[in-house]
Amino acid sequence: MALSEFLQHLVNMLVLGGTYALLGIGLTLIFGIMNVVNFTHGVLYTFGAYIMFIVVQQLGLNFFLALPVAVLAGWLLGAAIELTLLRPLRGSDIDTTMLVMIGAWIAMQSGTLWIWGGVAKSVTTPFPEAPLVLGPVSVSWLRLFVLAAAALLIVVTYLLINKTSLGRAMRATFQDHDTASLMGVNVDMIYTSTFAIGSSLAAAAGALLGPVYVIFPQMGDLAAVKAFAIVILGGLGNITGAVIGGFILALAEELGAGYVSSGYRDAMGFLIIIAVLIFKPTGLFARAERVG
Amino acid sequence: MTRALGLVGTIALATALFGGTAGAQTIKIGVNEPLTGAFAASGTYVVNGAKIAADEINAKGGVLGKKIELVIEDNKSNPTEAAAVAEKLITSDKVPVLMGAWGSSLTLAVMPKLMEYETPMVVETSSSGKITTTGNPFIFRISPPSAVEAAAFKGIVDKLALKKVDFLVINNDWGRGTAEDFSKMMKDKGITIGLVETMDQGAQDMSAQLSKIKSSDSETVIVTTAVDQLTLIFKQAAALGLKKRIITTGGSQNPDQIIAQAGAAANGTMHLTTFLPWFPDKTPNPEATNYFITEWKKRGFEFAGCTESFRGYDGIRTAAAAIEKAGKAEPAAIKAALWDINIKGLNGDIVFRKSGPEGKESGQSQPNVYLIEINDGKVEMKTL
Amino acid sequence: MRIVVTILAVAALASVPLWLRDPYLLNALITTGIFVIGAMSLNLLLGFTGQLSLGHIAFFGIGAYVSALTSLGFDVGLPGGFRVVHEPWPPIIGLVFAILAAGLCGYFVGLLSFRVRGAYFVIVTISFAEVVRLVALNWVELTQGPLALTNIPSIALPLPGFGELTLRTKMQNYYLVLVVALIAYLLIARLVRSHFGRAMRGLMENETLAVSVGIDVTRTLTLAAVISAAIAGAAGSLYAHYIRIIDPEVFAFINTVTMVIMVISGGKGSLAGPVVGGLIFGLLPVALRPVMAPEAQWIAYGGVLMAILFVLPRGIVPSLAQRLTKRRSSTAALALTETGIEERA
Repeated sequence: MALSEFLQHLVNMLVLGGTYALLGIGLTLIFGIMNVVNFTHGVLYTFGAYIMFIVVQQLGLNFFLALPVAVLAGWLLGAAIELTLLRPLRGSDIDTTMLVMIGAWIAMQSGTLWIWGGVAKSVTTPFPEAPLVLGPVSVSWLRLFVLAAAALLIVVTYLLINKTSLGRAMRATFQDHDTASLMGVNVDMIYTSTFAIGSSLAAAAGALLGPVYVIFPQMGDLAAVKAFAIVILGGLGNITGAVIGGFILALAEELGAGYVSSGYRDAMGFLIIIAVLIFKPTGLFARAERVG
Repeated sequence: MTRALGLVGTIALATALFGGTAGAQTIKIGVNEPLTGAFAASGTYVVNGAKIAADEINAKGGVLGKKIELVIEDNKSNPTEAAAVAEKLITSDKVPVLMGAWGSSLTLAVMPKLMEYETPMVVETSSSGKITTTGNPFIFRISPPSAVEAAAFKGIVDKLALKKVDFLVINNDWGRGTAEDFSKMMKDKGITIGLVETMDQGAQDMSAQLSKIKSSDSETVIVTTAVDQLTLIFKQAAALGLKKRIITTGGSQNPDQIIAQAGAAANGTMHLTTFLPWFPDKTPNPEATNYFITEWKKRGFEFAGCTESFRGYDGIRTAAAAIEKAGKAEPAAIKAALWDINIKGLNGDIVFRKSGPEGKESGQSQPNVYLIEINDGKVEMKTL
Repeated sequence: MRIVVTILAVAALASVPLWLRDPYLLNALITTGIFVIGAMSLNLLLGFTGQLSLGHIAFFGIGAYVSALTSLGFDVGLPGGFRVVHEPWPPIIGLVFAILAAGLCGYFVGLLSFRVRGAYFVIVTISFAEVVRLVALNWVELTQGPLALTNIPSIALPLPGFGELTLRTKMQNYYLVLVVALIAYLLIARLVRSHFGRAMRGLMENETLAVSVGIDVTRTLTLAAVISAAIAGAAGSLYAHYIRIIDPEVFAFINTVTMVIMVISGGKGSLAGPVVGGLIFGLLPVALRPVMAPEAQWIAYGGVLMAILFVLPRGIVPSLAQRLTKRRSSTAALALTETGIEERA
């Protein structure tokens, strides 16, 4: 009895952790490379979900086609935000850019409410409703698909950062943007690309999770808070760290809700953050020391 | 920039100062609802229902020979704003009666203002017991607090043969209140109470709570939350292979939205609800229900919103009836008249009974409560 | 010069209830004033030590809860079978306890701020506020959780020889908030200009140098955090006794964001900044309400915020002050060249 419950919690942790990891990597890229506390991350997540809704429900197109559309739309919106809001403020301190991002968050979230209203939307998926049952545990096919898609996106991002020339330039900018600039890296272009990639990952997470959950204007808020937690756990700019951080957060929440108290489920993540920052301020898997 | 801001400020100030004096040709009713923020969807539904009532009354000639005018303000799902909005409606717009404020904490924040300005308010949605028990004589509630719902459910539990139940409730006054009142009632009936699990208002993933419930030895789960989380719970419960009877409470379920969004996962679930838009003929006031539903559809709103919006419709009709009875649009007269009205609401007669400490009782109406079941994607009435 | 402006501003603010009869606007000014006090305390941390606390609402909320519980009383069980029963005390004592409790929490967060800086400190403070919110939400026996603490009494001032004066009217509460705001302002002003203030600024500008001239970093940051938190706690107490109901939503992130907007738009590190920014962003929603749809009001709110940061990136007060001095010095320079004296102004 107790064992089957524990196994079910572990399976839940696995599917939840994958989505958390996807949420975290987009944010950690922007945070680490650009030193921007990106408060629009949650809105981009919401945006991706609404793109999914438009493509599948309103245009009646294929579910699998909608995913790349959402990724592309997120990329374009991210690039637009970077070019109009962040580039003119380059060189301003972190507080100013952060507050501009807060302004964009408030305006865009209210825009979503204005356009689509507050009533939650849902997306029909091609997956069977009956779950996959493995002995005492069961899991829905849709969530398995989301887990696989998230894993694919994480691997693609990893390869992009570590195996391409764009990725090399991004890493150089992360280490020291002045030196990178001297060595001929177009730092402005790197920043725009970074923000666009991070945004497209957020939109992808929204497009994948929108159909799992329901889609409404404030859905991104909680997602963003979790993303911040994951980034801190993993260390700024550390993709591997964000992935592991995602799974740790999911595990803490599952076990916290299962064995402590469901009221404190969301507190688990925050308590971990506080503990990590007190005892290992640069994150659990920090590879670069950079504060502030 | 600064000048433009100043201009906006001046206009606002002017409107606020002088706006209230114009329009003596109409009778105003203040509507204090969440139109942005966490409860935006529900607040908007209630306002849409309120507008149908106002248009209907005006089409029939209004009250006391004047048209009624709804002054609708957004309380931003925020208690501080709800109090400020009440202040604005009463002092700037000079409304003699209010309707609001959806959530219990929003209503509780408005209550001191009602005392301060001695203006009555019709409470259409809030369920917290505190609203009618703390001695605020300006409160008239048409929605059932969870204790009333529990009492109504009492007659049904025997027929359902409940033995042990778990609770999964939203972590706010509504969910906590329901868990408390239903547990008390069920313990009296000899039913064992198992787990009481909560979920945060914005939470989207309840798998952890449901996994815990799956492993418990109860046969029934009572679920209390708004429609969006209910949909998620049904989907996630199905994904986890949770095979227990689910009964939802609270009357905010929108079963149609659940059927549309949760699909087969919703089959077999039961819901305690306060309005039956699917069976207009079985409601206490079939004529009004049919009118309301026709009008709702004509305006292009989603049918699923009916179970939320009807309270706005009833709330405004209650306020208008009280104004008519009072014979004048003044707060004290309306407050007195609210005790005397007896109108056929969409879910039963709206008659206020005294509740709370003696001498400063609040009014509480006793709406009907129904049990419905979803089968093969259709809503069925449970006749027990 | 500066003192004249300050006195005129205070006189103008003090005269408001005498000519503004609209209770709705007066109410908006009172709640704005309470948040301005919060913003001033945030400015002490953000503007003078450079540490951005995005969990500042925690101190405000703790102040609100402590003050409310002191004046309402409670009966709560603790682990080990102990019970703590507290009879209601006058709200004014609640205010004092609110200041002490918030200050104590500020002490712990201040200790933490020595270990983590910058973005990490931001996240720690957000987490702290969230944990406090979840405790307020789930410790139902003490805080009544989401059922909210209601019927919180208004503040009563003890008048020696005359009994008490319960502050019920808008005008009384307005002056109460104004007086507390003034005390907070003077306290911060005095602090900033003291030896301690120089230490704070030295620390912000160049920590290595500051340490080398013997500034005790931990002590300075901790003290700043304690005072900042204590003032925020006082603001929270005023809030609880004015609104008269509090629920865990008082800890909502948007409330912190409101204070941060007030500080940064007004000008961090400037004493008048949070007051000017606070009045603008506190009253902006009031101004927008009658002219546009609810959703559009929020869009405009976000838009105005972004616009101010683009046009006046250092904040309204410092940017305007700079422009003013520049104009004055350039006219002076012009006058000097006209009279033929060659001298750089």
